Amino acid sequence: MSDSTSVWHKLYNGETRISFIPRWRLWFALSGVVIAIGVASLVSQGLNLGIEFEGGVSWQVPAGDASVDGMRGAVEDAGLADATVQTVGTGSGERLRIKAELQEGQDPVEIAAAIAEEAGVDADEVTQQTVSKSWGDQITSKAQRALIVFLVLVSLYIAFRFEWKMALATLLALLHDILVTVGVYSLFSFEVTPATVIAILTILGYSIYDGIVVFDRIDENAKALAVTGDRTYSTMVNDSMNQVLMRTLNTSITALLPILSLLVLGSLVLGATTLQEFALALFIGLASGAYSSIFIASPALALLKEREERWRTVRQRVERLGGRVPAPAPVAAAPVARDADDAEEEISSIRQASREQPTARAIQARGRKKQRRR
Amino acid sequence: MRRRRSTALIFIVLVAITGVVLSIVTDSSPELGLDLQGGASVVLQPPDGTESESIDQAIEIIRSRVDALGVAEPDIVRQGDTVLVELPGVKDQQRALDIVGQTAELRFRPVLNVLPPEGEEPEPTTTTTTTSTTTTTVAGETATTAAETTTTTTSTTTTTVPPDEIETTAPEEDTDPAVEVVLPDKDGSSRYVLGPTTVLGNAISTASAAFQGEWTVHLEMTADGIGGFNTLAGECFNRAGTCPTGLLAITLDGQVVSAPAIREATFERDQISISGGFGEGEAKDLSLVLRYGALPIQLERQDAQTVSASLGKDSLNAGLLAGAVGTALVLLYMLVYYRLLGAVVIAGLAVWGSLMWSIVSWLGATQGLALSLAGVTGIIVSIGVTGDSYIVFFERLKDEIRGGATIRTSVDRGFRHAFRTILIADTSAFIGAATLYLLTVGPVRGFAFFLGLSTILDVTVAWFFTRPLVGILARRRKFTSGSFIGVRGGAV
Repeated sequence: MSDSTSVWHKLYNGETRISFIPRWRLWFALSGVVIAIGVASLVSQGLNLGIEFEGGVSWQVPAGDASVDGMRGAVEDAGLADATVQTVGTGSGERLRIKAELQEGQDPVEIAAAIAEEAGVDADEVTQQTVSKSWGDQITSKAQRALIVFLVLVSLYIAFRFEWKMALATLLALLHDILVTVGVYSLFSFEVTPATVIAILTILGYSIYDGIVVFDRIDENAKALAVTGDRTYSTMVNDSMNQVLMRTLNTSITALLPILSLLVLGSLVLGATTLQEFALALFIGLASGAYSSIFIASPALALLKEREERWRTVRQRVERLGGRVPAPAPVAAAPVARDADDAEEEISSIRQASREQPTARAIQARGRKKQRRR
Repeated sequence: MRRRRSTALIFIVLVAITGVVLSIVTDSSPELGLDLQGGASVVLQPPDGTESESIDQAIEIIRSRVDALGVAEPDIVRQGDTVLVELPGVKDQQRALDIVGQTAELRFRPVLNVLPPEGEEPEPTTTTTTTSTTTTTVAGETATTAAETTTTTTSTTTTTVPPDEIETTAPEEDTDPAVEVVLPDKDGSSRYVLGPTTVLGNAISTASAAFQGEWTVHLEMTADGIGGFNTLAGECFNRAGTCPTGLLAITLDGQVVSAPAIREATFERDQISISGGFGEGEAKDLSLVLRYGALPIQLERQDAQTVSASLGKDSLNAGLLAGAVGTALVLLYMLVYYRLLGAVVIAGLAVWGSLMWSIVSWLGATQGLALSLAGVTGIIVSIGVTGDSYIVFFERLKDEIRGGATIRTSVDRGFRHAFRTILIADTSAFIGAATLYLLTVGPVRGFAFFLGLSTILDVTVAWFFTRPLVGILARRRKFTSGSFIGVRGGAV
């Protein structure tokens, strides 16, 4: 743990000392700004919803010799005034995508024929999707319901497995991810499709996974801390995060690699639009998820826990003794409670040692609280 | 301990190999969804408040239409109140969707003639027995007598037509009730030349099947409908020119469901029964058809999609290539970062992949589960999740070794703790996948299924493969010396 060791070595061995928790105001403010911009965009221009949610028709056709403008003209001639035409993919995989709302009496099949003619391909080559408005509404409400049930169930599970404050912190991080992703989608007018919804849900899964690994370590360290009381809860959380930092980075990288491959290779080069829809949301969300599990969930947990009588007492003692109390073992290097049995022994022995002062400490704690209130 | 380890290891590797070998031997590969091979799909929805039974009946009708289209592996499933029809690889996609979405109408048509199936020479002396076993009678008449009488009646009247007279100009598609038509019966054993009619399914009030000495279907007409029905029945009873056979066919969606002989000149509205040699299933099916006919479902097309074969192929290739490159990048990273343990990840992913392939192939062959683009994405994404589990384990292992434990004990302790974490994390991911699977429709479901499957496989591989393999490696001096996992300064 000497200062001469490289950042890489510290990172590798979980010996970094990055102040995640003390700077929580900065992290929360950063997220707040991003979310505020997103919400402002959401209010002013809304979301660019795909036909699956709004109803309508879309066609996809190999571009062939047709240009975007030529195709727009062709579908206008076929009676579609406000169609949007865009290209997807590159090279031989280049395709044109046409999206429109049908007027009364218009037959999507006839328009598909006009599109095929413009592109110079068989009518079989045209991919078409027609969605009714009511179906879009159902899809939306079903997705919303699934999302809410998902959040409730996962919160309950975390509350059951750890505690409700961790569930609350996780929930906060998840809401953060949803708001950031939706905000970015609104800001850049990316099209929202069922694939986007799937991607967002996946991200939530990731975010939870990340959060749980950090919380698992915090939970473990908290048990030891309850006995030693050598540092504040926030410090312990901060130490835990530094311990698992490399893991967090590694998982983000391994998660990111396949998604980058999907985004760059699958969609941009090969032109599979569905892959693009997935990968874009995954990419945005994963970045947000990696951020929120470190900078939102854990600080939020620390703030929540510091309000508890027990940890407040510890904090006061630590502050009275002038900051960090030397730990019995190097904190970063030793995962405490290596074994359930080991931990139990350790705890009971230390508990006996520190049993002398609790009364005095408690009285002082109340006294301080009063002072602060005034 | 060590023996148990190798047992688990051998077990899981054997299972993986067996799975792959089985899928090669049976020549099964994952069934591709239509977005990966081209085809047509449509989501149909009945109006609110439609009886569940009627939806099932509608699905039956769609199924027989799809069979007639000759689609190799159609998928017609009910998801809640909606019906999802997927026709992978179907030619002339728009027409197929139009045919699937039509509303089926039930009609009562007088039988003009009974023909043998197309392409078959009629046997000169036998009569059509299909019709002779059913009969329409006034309720109360003893069933036995009714059946016997009918047999005689039909055998005398249903004259067999010489081959040269079979030629008929009547169309074979039941589009307009006001014109003659030739329709087959359900099992294709006879064809019926049917006269025009005005009596449709909406004349039916309700129908039910009951056992009264034998299985009987009770039919109740509406007050408006009974007049037309009696006119038609009267013609048949009297063997008028419009109904020379005395048989009244019940047709649904271009098929003769039943063609009972009429045994009364007029019927009371609620005193009509059809009997004659029905099994329980047959009687219930017929009553269901009649009830459906009373209120045919107007299925509304909610989401119709056609995917060209070339787009499907491109998507599949893009997905496979992106998946392969993504996996290669993850493995490369693991190798660089974890050295020898990276090789464990490669082996573990190979086992994971073999199991995944076998299960998906097996589900495709037995359950018709198709792998869609959403599913492919789910699997690619779960490569990352599986990678996570290894990282959790290895990082924990490093912690333990840094804490001063030997590699040997570290592996056991480290795995115990890491597995706890993996289990919690995978459980919450599984909760998410299950919620999505149960509460959503369409592509989200496909994705959720594969995500859920991969979390189960992740836990399985971690327990049966990674744990024993790392455990065994840790006992070999060759591997524990030097940079086993790049942990320097750990007491070995």
